[in-house]
Amino acid sequence: MNITPEIILDCRGLTKTVVTGSSKAEEKHLTILQPIDLQVKSGESLAIIGASGSGKTTLLSILAGLDLPTSGEIYLKKQPMHSFDEEQRSKVRADHVGFIFQSFLLINSLTALENVMLPAELANADDAKEQAIAMLNNVGLGDRVEHYPGQLSGGEQQRVAIARAFISKPDILFADEPTGNLDSQTGETIIELLFALNKQQGTTLVLVTHDRELAQRCDRQLTMAGGQFVQQVNLMAEVS
Amino acid sequence: MQMWVKQSLRLFRHELKRGELTIICFAIVLAVATVFSLSGFSAQIKSALVNESTSFIAADRVLQSSRPANSELIAKADDFNLQLAEMMLFSSMVFAGDEMLLVSIKAVSGNYPLRGELLIKNASGPQSAPAPGSLWVEQSLLDKLKVKVGDNIELGAANFFIAGIVAKEPDASFSVFTNGPRVFLNLYDVPKTQVVQPGSRLTYRYLFAGEQQNIADYDNWLSPQVEDNQRWYDIKSQQSPLANALNRAEKFLSLASMLGIILAAVAVSVASRRYGQRHQPMVAVFKAMGANKSYIRNLYLLHWSSLSAFSIVIGLCVGFGIQYLALQYISSYLPANTSSDSLYPLFVAIITGLICACAFAIAPMKALISTPVLSIIRGFNGFDSKTRWFNQVPAFVAVFTLLVLFSRDLILSAVLMLSAAIVITVLLFLGRLLVNVGRKVGSGAGQSFHLAMANLKRRAKQNNVQLISFTIAIKLLLLMVVVRNDLIDEWQAQLPDNAPNQFLINVNAQQVPDVENFLNQQKIVSSGLYPIVRGRLTAINDEKLRKIASKEQEDGSNQGREGIGRELNMTWQQNLPSENVVTQGLWFSTSGNNAEVSVEAQIAQRLEINIGDQLTFQIGSEQIQVIATSIREVNWQSMQPNFYMIFNDGVLKDHPVTYITSLHVPPQSKRALQQFLNAYPTISVIDVDAMITQLRGVISQVSLAIEFILILVLIAGSLVLVAQVQASMEERERELAILRTLGAKGSLLRNSTLLEFVVLGVISGFLASIGMEAAVYYVQTNVFEMTASWHWQYWLLGMVLGGGFVGLIGLVSCRRLLKLSSLTLIRRTL
Repeated sequence: MNITPEIILDCRGLTKTVVTGSSKAEEKHLTILQPIDLQVKSGESLAIIGASGSGKTTLLSILAGLDLPTSGEIYLKKQPMHSFDEEQRSKVRADHVGFIFQSFLLINSLTALENVMLPAELANADDAKEQAIAMLNNVGLGDRVEHYPGQLSGGEQQRVAIARAFISKPDILFADEPTGNLDSQTGETIIELLFALNKQQGTTLVLVTHDRELAQRCDRQLTMAGGQFVQQVNLMAEVS
Repeated sequence: MQMWVKQSLRLFRHELKRGELTIICFAIVLAVATVFSLSGFSAQIKSALVNESTSFIAADRVLQSSRPANSELIAKADDFNLQLAEMMLFSSMVFAGDEMLLVSIKAVSGNYPLRGELLIKNASGPQSAPAPGSLWVEQSLLDKLKVKVGDNIELGAANFFIAGIVAKEPDASFSVFTNGPRVFLNLYDVPKTQVVQPGSRLTYRYLFAGEQQNIADYDNWLSPQVEDNQRWYDIKSQQSPLANALNRAEKFLSLASMLGIILAAVAVSVASRRYGQRHQPMVAVFKAMGANKSYIRNLYLLHWSSLSAFSIVIGLCVGFGIQYLALQYISSYLPANTSSDSLYPLFVAIITGLICACAFAIAPMKALISTPVLSIIRGFNGFDSKTRWFNQVPAFVAVFTLLVLFSRDLILSAVLMLSAAIVITVLLFLGRLLVNVGRKVGSGAGQSFHLAMANLKRRAKQNNVQLISFTIAIKLLLLMVVVRNDLIDEWQAQLPDNAPNQFLINVNAQQVPDVENFLNQQKIVSSGLYPIVRGRLTAINDEKLRKIASKEQEDGSNQGREGIGRELNMTWQQNLPSENVVTQGLWFSTSGNNAEVSVEAQIAQRLEINIGDQLTFQIGSEQIQVIATSIREVNWQSMQPNFYMIFNDGVLKDHPVTYITSLHVPPQSKRALQQFLNAYPTISVIDVDAMITQLRGVISQVSLAIEFILILVLIAGSLVLVAQVQASMEERERELAILRTLGAKGSLLRNSTLLEFVVLGVISGFLASIGMEAAVYYVQTNVFEMTASWHWQYWLLGMVLGGGFVGLIGLVSCRRLLKLSSLTLIRRTL
């Protein structure tokens, strides 16, 4: 019997246009995303690649519910994100979404442990601390729990960020250039860790990257240019 | 516990421990501590000064009347828990054998004086009233009547025993034209002298003292009921040099404290902005992780409240410490019984903390909470692009509220605020202009200067904020220094070391050459001998006067209330005396033969005398008519003989004349003067040395208080500069990282950083000097009623101080950054 995986993310005719110019006279409409259709299956890993300015980061923002499309529909876990306000999208993010950023975005005033605890606390988990310690152990930072981000190397900071992203067991994880600020060796370690956790938790992974090697680790690669997909490569056989 | 409470407190604890809240904490602590210590300290100083100086009127408040006051009004003082003493003043003749003398009687009740001390020679401790049947007299009475302590003298219908010699009279008059030596009498004895008859010229004084609040309440109750022939005054409403010094000092203390508050508020504003910017990434991350707006609002409200409460408590402790240390330091200058248990400074300080924490936080907090979640991907813009003028409204309202709360002076607060708004607008324009000019100059100068100017230009927006803060801080500091110096200079000019301390009066024309010879021999500085003719002003332009006013007719009141037919002391002079300025008309020309008179400005205004009016004077049995040809302003506070009416030469020469002079007699010449005067028993001497010493004591206390407050304002100003430089540190860090990466040498970075701050400081100093000059003009002419003057020397000081101080602070703050290796810098910032 064929098991068809659930579509976790479904986009139909997404576009994004922004207005530029400082005055009404200079106003220009700039199309960043042409109509885009995309379905992502649960547990899938998807890499969006493309040159700078191709629209991949804008697409990621909309997919993750951080921004709204100008037109089109987007359903995340079947929720109509395109018609939700900021508060409703926050709720969806809290329940289903995790993030990893190029610049880590850890809170410098909190320890590694406290940074990792944050999403669990936001979800009102009683055992946030225990979960965070376990996650930090999982990413190999069990001995650095009380360190502040400033006391950690770039690779270690990104590992904390990964632990923070996975602690709430998100259904879908969005990563924006997760290895962009790291040297290639550290980047390699981070990629390993990311995919290991992805596999372990069955999380859907959507990442934006310039890194061909990282992209090739994904089930699917979508190449963007001029605000639309120009190429799609399936690296893995469709789950059947 | 709610999760946001837990997270907020955790964040607060960590940030506090890691020093990330130091600047904002410091700013609130500074505001609270400044207000607490300044208002507390100046309140203490004020109450000490008023305590000290009320002894000059022997009470807190005095009701003076030419008729007995309504006894119900006086009795009411008891309901307000006030102490009351009564006094009657009149002139009378006393007799001892064949000798007689006009004396100035002060009949006092048993509890006189309520403030200050009445000291009697050879008596232990302060005294109140002489026992019934006895008198206390001034030494000169004994000399003139040839009597001694223990002898009897006659006053009216009664005989009195001389029980002692007055050594110190608390409410002695500054007037040199008193009617003879002072004699103290018990009020109980007045009826038996029978000198008080219907129509007698008498002055009744009712003295009140008590708690400040009770006095204020009684004042509110009594003031509307004070009649035309009565005067209700305190030490500050006296026109004495002391009252003037006190009034100005009090205004200065208030002004300095208000400026301290503005500086502290600027520091809070700068720091809260930085607080907001620093927390933006945190808010964006929280939002990305799904925290909703109300969660973040609660979290930050609690965070900010914890921070404010913590800072206010620390501020109160620091303020208390400063005030305690300051009072310890000057305790020897304060009267022993000074205590200020008023809770007002505490109240104002807490309110200041709360207002600063709330008003200055509204705009940054609003911007912070609305940080778009998309910033985590797109980057953070800071607040500059979102700043709108109306976002500054709460801050302006807050500063205004603080000023009014503190000074309780709506007009002064409004003027300060309005001038601040104008200054900021002008600064924005001038600052940009100067930086642009600097950029053009810089392009032809060295590499460091070029880079420094480029940095200034590039950060024009942030620099404008810095420029305004620096300029305001430097301007306020300059203002304080200039005003303080002018005030103290003026006081010292008023009471120079050689200020006259003795007056010689009743010198007759034959004695004048002898007196002049003696003064020349002894090298004693004098004001010169002024002839005095006593006369009455009886008509103006043939319109008969029923009332005229004169300064000296009422003992010590100096107000010149109405008085019918009282005589004026008039003189003639060829040259305009020093301390006199002709404001209308012309001083006498040497060629004119007409009878002319120059009239003092206040009396001219009161009696509506104009140039060209014909004034009729009655001198003895003769009448003379003169034309008013000039109106003079007179500095009544100079210890010189001053006159309402000065005639030109020749008009008064045929009338009976005596002469007066004021002298500065150094201690070593006092004996010689005494010996000289023994040969001239008709010359009277009035010794004002004790009074001058007392006055000088008060002025030195006031100067000390002003210096102390100046130091506090200086610290407040310096801290604004530090907070401002600190606020730009992150951006500088990023720039240094970029420049280092591009291969800039350490020396280039150091020099350009130093130059950038120095140029900013010099521009601020220059603008501050312009602002200072305008503010000083206003303060001198409107607040202190002094003559305005330019202060060029402070322009240079402003620029040197600005450049040096801002450069130093900037370099010291950036030193840590400049020392970091390129790798560390890049890792920390990029």
